[in-house]
Amino acid sequence: MSISNVKIINKLSNSKATFIKTGIFVSLAAYWGVILVGTFITFN
Amino acid sequence: MDVFLPIAQVFVNPIEILLLSAIVGVLSGLFGVGGGFLMTPFLIFLGVPPAYAVANEANNILATSVSGSTTHYLKNTLDYKMGLMIVIGGTIGTALGIYIFTYFKGIGKIDTVISLAYMYILAIIGTLMLVESLGEIDRAKRNLIVKKKLHVHYWIHGLPLRMRFPKSKLYESIFTPIIIGLFVGFIAAIMGIGGAFILVPAMIYIIKMPTKLVPGTSLFVTIFVSVIVTFLHSFNFGSIDLMLVVMLVIGSIIGVQIGQKLGEKIDSSGLKALLAILLLIVGIAIAYETFFAEQTEKEIIQVLTSDLNFFSIFILEFSEDMPFFYGLFSIMFAILLGVGAALIRRVFSNFKKKMLLKKS
Repeated sequence: MSISNVKIINKLSNSKATFIKTGIFVSLAAYWGVILVGTFITFN
Repeated sequence: MDVFLPIAQVFVNPIEILLLSAIVGVLSGLFGVGGGFLMTPFLIFLGVPPAYAVANEANNILATSVSGSTTHYLKNTLDYKMGLMIVIGGTIGTALGIYIFTYFKGIGKIDTVISLAYMYILAIIGTLMLVESLGEIDRAKRNLIVKKKLHVHYWIHGLPLRMRFPKSKLYESIFTPIIIGLFVGFIAAIMGIGGAFILVPAMIYIIKMPTKLVPGTSLFVTIFVSVIVTFLHSFNFGSIDLMLVVMLVIGSIIGVQIGQKLGEKIDSSGLKALLAILLLIVGIAIAYETFFAEQTEKEIIQVLTSDLNFFSIFILEFSEDMPFFYGLFSIMFAILLGVGAALIRRVFSNFKKKMLLKKS
């Protein structure tokens, strides 16, 4: 029982880390998308 | 309480400039990176036209580089020979950069080019720093040790005309530092930065210099590059405003000293992620202003010469009548302030050591 509790806690913390990493990746992708599109529109 | 900048022809709040300059100085002293790529965007946000922000920030960087370089000279942690090779490349790169700057200024696109350059540089550095610092935090949590290859050779290590660099204990092609200097000089001329964020990793990973010689040599190179950038901007465009330079230099020199002291006491590796986020936020702000903000016509406030104070009139007349000597004066002024700050710091440091010895 205690081992499965530890496993659940580990899974939760891994999910949290994955969620944060995904959020950072999506934010960076959006940022780069905006500046690339903006540059294209400016020079078009 | 706003002050009128006679050359840039804008009103600025001197307290804001001093504070911002000091904060950026603290960050550059703490992280060992130049403040140019933060200070120039801040100047633009405060209303200084980009072309003037670039030129005056280059002058500011000259002062802080002289200050830092003097400290390293006194500690004997400079490789002059390597530095001079990079300066040769830097001179060519700066001339090329000024040529491109002049071209874009002529077609009226220089403000857009500078904004775009900053946007991309901040985005690239911010992204790389954020990914690297998050990776470090992740590895530290998992207690992972990454084994890196001791020597990695690129095409640049196969170039001819090899020379010995005794201080760094290297034997490599002179083209390596020259090409790096060329790139740094080009970027410095367009953006008004020192280029340390390119120079330092290039010196460590490409040239393979010993780490202890890198900061001093980088600052030494930045002096020469900043001198050339400042002089060419002053002579070609008359864009150096001594009033602005004084505020920037005072703030940043004080900030850098505080930042260096803080850097000795705290571990800055955890703060690197925060710095990366700050760079990205500044990049977003520039992107917003360039692409989305309404381009309103700025009210041109005409200030008559009779309304200016003595110092402003002196700067205007000096700049118009003797641009060559005005450029030289700006450079000497920054160098003197930089050397003065380094010597004052050394005196205080020696005094503190004596007091500690007396107590013990």
